[in-house]
Amino acid sequence: MTPTMTTASKVTALRPELHGPAKLDAPRPVRTRRINREGYKINWWMTSLLLVASLTILVPLYFTISMALKSPEQAASGTGFAWPTDPHWENFAQAFELTNYPAAFMSTAFITVISVLGALAASSMVAYAIVRNWDKKFFRLSYIYFLSAMFVPFPVVILPLIKQTAMFGLDNPLGVAFIHIVGGISFNSLLFIAFLRSIPVELEEAARLDGASTWQTFRKVIFPLLAPMSATVGIFAFLGSWNDFLLPQMLIADPALQTLPVVQQLFQGQFNTNYSLAFASYLMALAPTLLVYLFAQRWIMSGVMRGAVK
Amino acid sequence: MSASAISRRSILAAAGIAAAALALPACSNAKAGAVTTIRLQQGKPEVVDYFNGLIKDFEAKNPDIRVVQDFNGGNWVPGLIRDNPADVVTNAYSVTTADFAKKGIFANLADLPAASMADPKALELINSFGQYNGSELSALPFSLAAAGVIYNVDLFAQHNVKVPTTWSEFLAACQTFTAAGITPIYGTFKDSWTLGQPYGYVSGGTVDLADFFSRMPTTAADLKNNPDVSFTKDFKVATEKFLQVLGFMQKDAGSRAYTDGNAAFAKGGSAMYMQGPWALSELTTINPAIQLGTFPLPMSEDPSVTQAQVTLDMTFSIARSTPRMDAAKRFVSYLMEPAVVNAYNNKFSAFSPLKNAEKTTNEQVAGLQPFITDGKYYLNVTNYFPPAITLNNYFQTLALNKNTDAFLTTLDDSWHRVAARNA
Repeated sequence: MTPTMTTASKVTALRPELHGPAKLDAPRPVRTRRINREGYKINWWMTSLLLVASLTILVPLYFTISMALKSPEQAASGTGFAWPTDPHWENFAQAFELTNYPAAFMSTAFITVISVLGALAASSMVAYAIVRNWDKKFFRLSYIYFLSAMFVPFPVVILPLIKQTAMFGLDNPLGVAFIHIVGGISFNSLLFIAFLRSIPVELEEAARLDGASTWQTFRKVIFPLLAPMSATVGIFAFLGSWNDFLLPQMLIADPALQTLPVVQQLFQGQFNTNYSLAFASYLMALAPTLLVYLFAQRWIMSGVMRGAVK
Repeated sequence: MSASAISRRSILAAAGIAAAALALPACSNAKAGAVTTIRLQQGKPEVVDYFNGLIKDFEAKNPDIRVVQDFNGGNWVPGLIRDNPADVVTNAYSVTTADFAKKGIFANLADLPAASMADPKALELINSFGQYNGSELSALPFSLAAAGVIYNVDLFAQHNVKVPTTWSEFLAACQTFTAAGITPIYGTFKDSWTLGQPYGYVSGGTVDLADFFSRMPTTAADLKNNPDVSFTKDFKVATEKFLQVLGFMQKDAGSRAYTDGNAAFAKGGSAMYMQGPWALSELTTINPAIQLGTFPLPMSEDPSVTQAQVTLDMTFSIARSTPRMDAAKRFVSYLMEPAVVNAYNNKFSAFSPLKNAEKTTNEQVAGLQPFITDGKYYLNVTNYFPPAITLNNYFQTLALNKNTDAFLTTLDDSWHRVAARNA
């Protein structure tokens, strides 16, 4: 008797669901309604607030798409909310031709690829050197030196930069990418430095014991560990160089090598704006950014958090 | 120890990569044969396509010259900094362009045959801003944008209003429309620059602007010798009439922008609209059926002294430093051929600045033609102000607080402030 009782009560205590299915059945439907599959409560107030907030992106995006498909007459009349009745797909073809899209796209892509790769390489190396040599005065000072660059407003240096890039034969997309990389070092290496401090030195010591050189340690151990922060830096570098207007406008001498944001000025005169062509062109320029966002969403979200806490 | 040694090596490697990157672009654009390539800096985005057509035509006639059009207006100053400015540049000629001209950035075009074809009055306007070496011609006029009061022909006919030729007729017309419940003039103060049009009309019609601004001190030394010329003295009447004109605008003018104004006027929202010819294409885009005309705002009781307002909407200059002077001059001479000038100006509702120019076939601006033909025109007052004076903001303040004296004092003060810092 007693042993059986004990066993039974023990089992009940450990696995209540084996013994009480009848009792639990009643409240369960209520619970499934409140708790979804992954086991957290849905906060409808917050969700609806977010839905409203998402309109700040969706409404302009709606305008961009609907404007891109309108004829100039449709674009100029009404409040703009109306959906184009007969979509003018030829707007895209026209904008494509007017901006010489392939050339401008290639130029922008060239700048972006070099800027992103360069920013990752240069800033991570700078950060590694500074963090691991923190005991040396030179590196501590160079850290401050790089940081201080963040306090120089860009327009202050633009004219000397134009002169310098021209002297070095860099008045072209490569020069723009180069300035992007150099200009980004202060902020990007700040991010990398904060992240690198959390990586234990012991990992490196293990690599050293196996005979790795500094370059190998960096390349094989440290750089892969920096991946989450590299995603953040890469995304910032991508957006910064893809959307940049001022630098390419000022630095690129040959109009044939001009980038998308700059050639798109074409649709906006002082007194006249060709909205339908402009928006068709903006959509085409926007597409790569949207695609990158769709693919890199996960890292962008985590990257935003990472930048927030140092 | 070893760590720092190796990192030095990696720094050297990085330097090597950077050096290679620097060397790469050097090997481009090296080809040059019998064909000379010149660059045209063209600042009006809406005519880029049209100019591509002109360039094609020019290249067909001149196979030894290739023209590249650069519509990135921001590239002009960087080009000067690089000592490689565009060979030919278009400008809406104003005090800002004249700043470059007075520093000798542009070549002297006085000996081009095109210079003798241009209307002396138009050349006089260009030269009135100051000449390099006191005698050089830095720009050739290509297009005169004449501006006046744009009016809705049907509304005028419906209410039996004739195009006013005197100031009192204009006031009467406004009162007729007000009585009929129609807004006489559509105002768009939200875009402060649009106020430059009505102010331009009233000041151009009451003050000899070219004379006034030639007397206005522009340097610290001038200021000492000649402190008596002032807006307060000469612009009082203009400013009061400006407020009178603004009184005929709709109540919510303060919250309406240029595009709102275009939409409202095109749909018959008012009888008149004070805008330049650039608005015409916007208006007909919104309402293709609208009948439009333009008349110069009469500022006195004597119709014979009424003048039209113009801007030197497009002028051509050649960079003095260009090594391709011949090609650049041939290109400018082509652009200044009467056929090219006429076709362009007809298409864009502007006027040819050539002697004995063909009359415009554009009904919308034909009302201004007699004034242009007779050389009765003046430059918009805003063209005389350096960008350091935020004139449009002052206009807006005046439109809202209606304080004439404060406005004129502000203009005098800011003009003196700018003059005092010029040597």
